[in-house]
Amino acid sequence: MRSAGCLCGLLLSLTLAACAPFSDRVVLLPGPDGRTGAVLVSADGEEKVLSEPYADAQVADGKVHLLKTSPGMVADDYGALLAMQPARPRLFVVHFDPGTSVLTPASQTLLASIRAQLATLPAGEAVVVGHTDRVGALEANDRLSLQRAALVRDMLVGAGIAPEAIAVVGRGERAPAFMTADEVAEARNRRVEIKLR
Amino acid sequence: MGASARAGAMPAIARRASALLVLAAVLLAAFPADAAEEAAAPPAPAGKVKRSEGSVSVDHAGQTQPLPVGSPVFVGDRIRTGSDAAVGVTLSDDTLLTAGPNSTLLINEFEFNSTTEEGSLLATLVKGTLSVVTGLIAKQAPEKVQFKTPNVVLGVRGTEFIIETRGEGQ
Repeated sequence: MRSAGCLCGLLLSLTLAACAPFSDRVVLLPGPDGRTGAVLVSADGEEKVLSEPYADAQVADGKVHLLKTSPGMVADDYGALLAMQPARPRLFVVHFDPGTSVLTPASQTLLASIRAQLATLPAGEAVVVGHTDRVGALEANDRLSLQRAALVRDMLVGAGIAPEAIAVVGRGERAPAFMTADEVAEARNRRVEIKLR
Repeated sequence: MGASARAGAMPAIARRASALLVLAAVLLAAFPADAAEEAAAPPAPAGKVKRSEGSVSVDHAGQTQPLPVGSPVFVGDRIRTGSDAAVGVTLSDDTLLTAGPNSTLLINEFEFNSTTEEGSLLATLVKGTLSVVTGLIAKQAPEKVQFKTPNVVLGVRGTEFIIETRGEGQ
């Protein structure tokens, strides 16, 4: 009996804490890959760090109270909000036949599928991002990567995608798919990514 | 190209004022894009509306207008949702911002260089609810991404989260 009474008291105080009026609330969520980042919450000079999934910071009377919520409670409180999130960007990579500006057969097949997927996105955009390997100067590779992206943009337009829905970006040698020393030729880094969002 | 043409023209300007007028007219005709950029380059949008439900509007450049799917969103825009409404915006660094009903969201600052993926983002949730999925800026330099409410400042370390605020002085 006695322990049950304590439990009730505990539950009551937890409920009160969770239901106390807050001015602000921050809930940290895990990403789709299961990894969780972190958020620093500052109010009135007091700073708390949220780093666990479903960490729940509620600010009341200028104090930050660290609580914990759950997937079910987030769905109850914010399910409708989360259902309105824009689509997460989807990434596709196309490769060229060595030494040419012709896409590999697999990459050519991909273009048709990309057109179909873009059509399903509201206000869909394709961002075409060119990359080079680390042979040559940074600026020259910026230009080369932009040329590669423009080539793929023209192919996407040829596949029936509206030009105004496509943006081109040249990242040069900044983001190799496979890390190499400078001036190393690496075919896998000479690629174009197509991001749909 | 425009700059070097103008530099070469300087002696002519010094010689005769009428030559300057003719030259200016020629340069304007020859390089209209340069002239327009120097006058006022239209700001690049910070992002685009991808979802919109119910009554969603934006205060943009002193005017309030509806904000349907496909609309650009700019720095300085104040996005407002009605009691039945929600809006989802994708910024150009892939940050996803979703505001729920009765919300006001201000885009204070946004800069993004797509070549280097450097930039900064500051947004204020004046009231309501906001879901955030951070993008490329936070991946590279999380300290450059910040959200505020009237009572709270959030520093981001690359992540997904929800903010709710009941507004100022609550």
